[in-house]
Amino acid sequence: MNRVRNTVVQSGYILVLAVLCGLGANLVRPDGLPMVQAQGSAVTLPSDSGEIALKDALLLFASRRALFLDARSGFEFADGHIQGAVNVPVDDFELVFPKLADRFETVDAVITYCDGERCPLSTDLARLLMDRGVKNVFVLKNGWSVWNNERLPVEKGQRLESLLDLRDNLCVECAR
Amino acid sequence: MKAVAMALRVVVAGIFLYASYDKILHPADFAAIIKDYRILPDILVNPAAIILPWLELILGVLLVTGKWLEGALFLVNVLMLVFWTALIVNAVRGIDVGCGCFSTAKDSGGDMAWYLFRDGFFVLLGLAAWRLCVFRNKPAAP
Repeated sequence: MNRVRNTVVQSGYILVLAVLCGLGANLVRPDGLPMVQAQGSAVTLPSDSGEIALKDALLLFASRRALFLDARSGFEFADGHIQGAVNVPVDDFELVFPKLADRFETVDAVITYCDGERCPLSTDLARLLMDRGVKNVFVLKNGWSVWNNERLPVEKGQRLESLLDLRDNLCVECAR
Repeated sequence: MKAVAMALRVVVAGIFLYASYDKILHPADFAAIIKDYRILPDILVNPAAIILPWLELILGVLLVTGKWLEGALFLVNVLMLVFWTALIVNAVRGIDVGCGCFSTAKDSGGDMAWYLFRDGFFVLLGLAAWRLCVFRNKPAAP
């Protein structure tokens, strides 16, 4: 009986010691593991905000994990934009931002875009978002052209967010 | 017989100390190997990768020093059987995993039949050490 009791008690001590040593070492080492393993993803995002590659933006689009913000004017937006994107012209940022605040929490990435290699609007919009504390903001450089060139899903017309009496935009019926 | 028991104990200790070394150094690689076994749920993969190598190290030290032998040899045998069973389960399922027994290197995958034979031998070693070190004398009458 003593043998069984010793075995149980000693095993308990050893297991507790192993847990403490393992967790303690994991806590202090620089390459310690998180306790819960992150789900693997094929999406490669910069560690901080920055530019995002088209293939990564597409993966996030397909899995509905990204909010696309179109930084161009309302006229250009109405003429065609990434499907599901929200029009946020930089000049209207302060008006539109409060309407979008809840949506930032529900996505893994916020992707801004405009049109043209040197177009500054998407970068300006991204900076404004980051200044307001929005995390995971990425710029899809020359976004409208590269998206459109690949014949990825687009739509025409105004989104609801752009019609909230925020600006006197040209209203065009959605293509569908 | 006492010398044989001690020799067995030291050999098993060596196996555990050697097995723990690389896993403690590379916990992320070891976690990937555990995940490849597809036996533990994802939520337990990292905790196992963090704690198991230290358990092996502590068991190795206890076997060398001869302390808490009843508990240590019981856990040694439990672990040996668990490892061997995991290999058998994956062999039956046709999943050719990297053993992860002594190395976390990505190219350490290989011959499943050899792993099964070797770990089966380790199970026998563990049982023999347990038998000779813990069950050699009848416990004192109460």
